[in-house]
Amino acid sequence: MLRSVFAKVVHDQWRLVLGWGVFAAIWPAMYVGLYPSIEAMGSLQQMMDKLPPAIREFFASSELNIGTPEGFLNLELFTFIAPLLVLAYTVVVAGSATAGEEERGTLDLLLANPIPRWRVVVEKAAAFGVGTIVIVAFMWAGAAAAATAVGIDLDLGRLAEALVSVLLLGLALGGLALALGAMTGRRWLSSGVSLMVVIAGFFLNGLGALIDWLDPWRPLSPFYHYIANDPLSNGLDPGSALVLVAWAVVGLIVAVIAFERRDLAR
Amino acid sequence: MTESIIRTERLTKRYGQARGVDELDLEVRQGEVFGFLGPNGAGKTTTIRVLLDFIRPTSGRALLFGLDSRRDSRAIRRRIGYLPGELTLYDSLSGEELLTYFAHLRGLKTIETGRRVAERLDCDLTREIKALSHGNRQKLGLVQALMGEPELTIFDEPTLGLDPLVQAVFFQLVDELQAAGRTLFVSSHNLPEIQRICDRVGIIRQGRLLAVESVADLKRRALRRLELRFTEPVKAERFARVPGISELVVDGPHLSCVVTGSVDPILRAAMELHVEDVISHEPSLEEIFLAFYGNGVSGGPPDAAPTPGTPPDEEVPDAA
Repeated sequence: MLRSVFAKVVHDQWRLVLGWGVFAAIWPAMYVGLYPSIEAMGSLQQMMDKLPPAIREFFASSELNIGTPEGFLNLELFTFIAPLLVLAYTVVVAGSATAGEEERGTLDLLLANPIPRWRVVVEKAAAFGVGTIVIVAFMWAGAAAAATAVGIDLDLGRLAEALVSVLLLGLALGGLALALGAMTGRRWLSSGVSLMVVIAGFFLNGLGALIDWLDPWRPLSPFYHYIANDPLSNGLDPGSALVLVAWAVVGLIVAVIAFERRDLAR
Repeated sequence: MTESIIRTERLTKRYGQARGVDELDLEVRQGEVFGFLGPNGAGKTTTIRVLLDFIRPTSGRALLFGLDSRRDSRAIRRRIGYLPGELTLYDSLSGEELLTYFAHLRGLKTIETGRRVAERLDCDLTREIKALSHGNRQKLGLVQALMGEPELTIFDEPTLGLDPLVQAVFFQLVDELQAAGRTLFVSSHNLPEIQRICDRVGIIRQGRLLAVESVADLKRRALRRLELRFTEPVKAERFARVPGISELVVDGPHLSCVVTGSVDPILRAAMELHVEDVISHEPSLEEIFLAFYGNGVSGGPPDAAPTPGTPPDEEVPDAA
């Protein structure tokens, strides 16, 4: 305990991460658990089919088919709720990684110790990465437990791949928040701007599926790389995964460089 | 023997317009207790934060232990203890946890030294920091600064919020550290504090170093207010030409004046009459300080002596 900056983050956050993990696990468990009753109302699929195509396309990149567990979970869970649960954690904690200590005023004391600045950034980022993995693991466990309980046929390996895609989306935007925090020293600004990028990315991807001229821009949205390939049905696409990893890595590198160079606020 | 521990060479740090330091040339020698004296906003904390590489010089440079403050920051920080001026600690940790954390970051094997200092200061390490009073946090700040037995300790306003008893213990600690050959750099706007613990003092105002003096020299050269009572009324003209005298006021048998430097001339002049009583007011550094600030000239006794005991002049900014 308290052996390093990494350990300090773990010391401060393990309760938060476990609590958030349990909360985040409720959602996939609930939707998986609900599926048999939805399926039983067969007419729901017919209703969905009658929806305007524009609405269907916005909410689901692939075939909107709630007649299968995958289609149902894509619509209800992976379009919005699952990314939100993970992004809420990564964007907030990464935004305040260095900026939180800078604003509170503990950074001077920390850096008076013979520790290089880059290491503070990297160790905090690593700790948040681990926290995100724990939260996503809880979500998988919640879904898997519910699938077993209600006895539906859900490919747990594919489910894991879809959740890895959620994880990478979270890390990508966490990287952005980390970089902004390291550049500005202001946590709410960093988390807020990152959240706006999340919202813009969500709509760019969704609307891009509908509007022809917007379509070429969709790859700019991290949501496009996250979901367009439908990882729950088709598995994780390496290309898309790589783009999200690149977002995270570039964010980390920018954060380190900015933090090394800047005058730190008191 | 007098290796310099801190040396700044035309060190300049500009922010927009307000704060900062300007062409600061400062030298702190090994084993001395150096006072860095100035009002809030004069540039004391800015200088310290450059030394620790939290901020980077606009021009000039700072050397610590002969190493460059930027390039060799990590090696430098390994040898420094630091108490920040606006101390914020990790609220969720206990004192012991804080010391453990920093001991690991510093590569210390134990926190025994920290425990010893904490005991001296009567600082409870078991309580959570958020439950501590301001004074107790300040104690913990001192403990963590001294824990690694650093060659150089930088204190930014060390006694802020300490009660007089703890202050006395702190002064004692400073004496012991100095006896052990450690170097201390103490920034303060508290003059008695500097007077009590420092060997030399650098006076800074609006980012410029006005003077560096030994505390003993400052006192010697300083002003003092002298009051004489004679057995019968005296005439002011008798004393008007005595060298080093200003603010001469004669009221019947009472004379009061401000003396710069030696009191010998005025006492000789007085001895020609019957002196009933002499009262000399020991000059405080405050008066010396105001004398420097009054004319802004570096070194040398001030031309126009300010009235001792006047409140700090209004151009002293009090922005923290």
